[in-house]
Amino acid sequence: MDIQKQLLEAKNISKTFDNVVRALDAVTIEVRKNEILSVVGENGAGKSTLMKILVGVYPPDSGELYHIGQRIPFPRNPIEALRRGISIVYQERGVIPHLKVYQFLFLGLEEKFTRLGRLQLEKIIGIAKSVFDELGVRCDLGSYMYELPLSTQKMVEIAKAILSIRLAIGDSGAPDITPIIILDEPTAPLSIEERDELFQYLLNLKKNNSFIFVSHIIPEVMKFSDRIYVLRDGKLVAHHDLSVEKVSEEQLFREIVGRVSYYELYGGHEYGRAEAEGRPIILSVRNLTKKGYYQDITFDLREGECIGLFGPAGCGKSEIAKTLYGELLADSGKLIVDNKEISIKGEPHSRLRRGIGYFSGETGKELFLYWPIKKNVSIVNFEKIVRSPLKIVSVISFKAEKILAEKIVKKLRIKAPSVDTECYSLSGGSKQKVSVGKWLERSPKILILEDPTIGIDVGAREDIYEVLLEMKKNGISMILVSDDPKEYAILCDKIVLMRDGKIQKMYTNEEFKKVMEL
Amino acid sequence: MRESIPSREWLQRNLNTIIPVSGLILLLIGLRIANPYFLASWDSVITLVYGMSFFLVAACGLTLVILMGSFDFSVPSVLKLSAMIFAVLYPSLGFLSIPAALAVSLVFGFVNGLLLARFNIPSFMATLATSMIAEGAAQVISGGYTRMITDPAFRALSTTMIAGLPSIFYWAIAIWLISIFLTFVTPFGRAIYAVGGNLVGARLAGINVKMVRILTFMVCSLFAGLSGILYASQIQAGHMQVGVLDMIPLFASVVVGGTALTGGVGGVHRTLLGVLIIRWLDSGLSMLAIDLNVRMIVFGVIAIVMAILTIDRRRIKIMK
Repeated sequence: MDIQKQLLEAKNISKTFDNVVRALDAVTIEVRKNEILSVVGENGAGKSTLMKILVGVYPPDSGELYHIGQRIPFPRNPIEALRRGISIVYQERGVIPHLKVYQFLFLGLEEKFTRLGRLQLEKIIGIAKSVFDELGVRCDLGSYMYELPLSTQKMVEIAKAILSIRLAIGDSGAPDITPIIILDEPTAPLSIEERDELFQYLLNLKKNNSFIFVSHIIPEVMKFSDRIYVLRDGKLVAHHDLSVEKVSEEQLFREIVGRVSYYELYGGHEYGRAEAEGRPIILSVRNLTKKGYYQDITFDLREGECIGLFGPAGCGKSEIAKTLYGELLADSGKLIVDNKEISIKGEPHSRLRRGIGYFSGETGKELFLYWPIKKNVSIVNFEKIVRSPLKIVSVISFKAEKILAEKIVKKLRIKAPSVDTECYSLSGGSKQKVSVGKWLERSPKILILEDPTIGIDVGAREDIYEVLLEMKKNGISMILVSDDPKEYAILCDKIVLMRDGKIQKMYTNEEFKKVMEL
Repeated sequence: MRESIPSREWLQRNLNTIIPVSGLILLLIGLRIANPYFLASWDSVITLVYGMSFFLVAACGLTLVILMGSFDFSVPSVLKLSAMIFAVLYPSLGFLSIPAALAVSLVFGFVNGLLLARFNIPSFMATLATSMIAEGAAQVISGGYTRMITDPAFRALSTTMIAGLPSIFYWAIAIWLISIFLTFVTPFGRAIYAVGGNLVGARLAGINVKMVRILTFMVCSLFAGLSGILYASQIQAGHMQVGVLDMIPLFASVVVGGTALTGGVGGVHRTLLGVLIIRWLDSGLSMLAIDLNVRMIVFGVIAIVMAILTIDRRRIKIMK
């Protein structure tokens, strides 16, 4: 190891939450001068926890921290971290839209530029100008943050992080330290062009700063990083120095999701292959386009068929799924459900009426956590449980509601004392089962699934796959969006490969498995 | 098996039932001790019933809106406008003025709902604005004068005695029961709770959020209008003082009953308790000859305390 280049080293860091969840297990990472270091991993792999330890949000259970070869204590709060030259730009909630650019840049730093209670505006604007010139941020200081493109907003945030470090170090009188800026999933809300712009900016800043780039978007990680650490289940599983070795996307993918192939895990499952050819087409998507997200998407979905939209995060697959359920509006294109064209501007309730169901992958958002299981199930199943004894009003039959929920609880093996149990007290896997399971009895014509098994354990996955395969057998068509290639192999008949918002290729299940070496 | 001694957890879970029930009992005992005439005769019971009935009708509608996670500040004004339309048109139209008053109320509800659902204007803002419109309209159609109606039929609507209680009481209880039915056993009621409890979830579950919002505001205004009609009949007049100081007591009675201002938690059934507490407190204090202004202070404090006690902090991180 070249000690000259080493800036920060965090050794053997462990962290456990609530004495149960092992978030980090003896992880060692090193940050060098003037590099972009990527830390990649699935949700829950421990990336964020590690970063929060570095900036003093959490204390670690054990571990050591070295700064240019010298042992230092862990920062106890973000301000101490700043003094050591470490700052973080969070994924969201960073920007305050209705502040002017210079106001935002100096937010929280005003104290240092106040004389007799008056903010020294000229001085602030002067500094802001020179900082922006130096860093290459091009924007009008007087405009409001919300007026800037998202990528420029991020750049301003990064400039703010660098400026904060400089001012904090200036105070403590420490020698010139290379700032370390942690970027937590900075590209998540950006469109493809904006991402490139942001990366050009980072490459430019590399000569004076180091960046830790937290992400799960593989292509951009490969393109712009100097080194990559892969975290999985709280452990460091791989380290690649891209200046020395070459890594393929597939290899990185496999390291991130784990080496065990689904065939070993779910050996019992033959994927529920439908004799879909020749069956009627239930959904036709024609030239669907949303600027900056996806272009010219065209495919047909047949009855009982499952099509997977596959590609790196940011390729537009999730946006297409949302568009099909009316959560996002397309700019142009055609949607034909059951031989009838439907408006591309429709809302979820009108899509549901057309027989389209949707699971967002965000159980916490989707569930009514303080409702019992049975109400969460019946929210999409009113047709099955209402009775109209007087023909004028529809009345919910509580008995039918209970029976319906019990059926689903039993089928999905949801672990709960009864269907009256409120959902917040369920485990993550059970919550997910309730969320997906409510569609089981509704039997929509088309079910759109985003990450149906994200963040849940193997057993719960198994149960969910079983039910989805059964629904497929009963003629329900599906569209799957996921991060897990194995999931596609289990559920999909066809896999559409996407990149940069465009369809690249169409695989059959067998071809896909061969390509992914599953 | 339930333990015989209520556990801490049980107490916490049922806090929003225990508070109003024990509050009501304490209130009754307190008022009885302070004033030996309180509830001493059947007449005083009837006085209390008159005091709470029109109020309950309006509070039921407001509860629906609050359950849905919105606010309706236009309730007292719509109530006043409806009372005024009823009284002003009664000499020429007779009881046909009732549908006229209700139709106008429905329009206000529709506009309130539309402003929120279609134009994304926060409901407190939208309803404050429409309440001004209702106030102004009431002023315009009445010319600011009190409209006395001496026709006994007009008065009979609210004051016919049935089994010792005035008919307005039965109207109120009927509306209350209908609201309970609506919220507990119909899909529409479930949708109200869904929208108030988790807006994103409701949308993803395919609930027509805009429609639910508009309909709920319409029901609320319909009840406010009905309340105004009944009240005008009870006092034999429509005048500009109707509903003037009712805003805070209305909200207080919904919240005191245990419906959280954050939406999705509580229910119309609870509002009866809240109305009893607030109206009895009001009557009790006025029987003790306590000044109106002091009573206003009392209601303001109660509203704040109850809001603090009932807001569900588990679910809201940011309150605006």
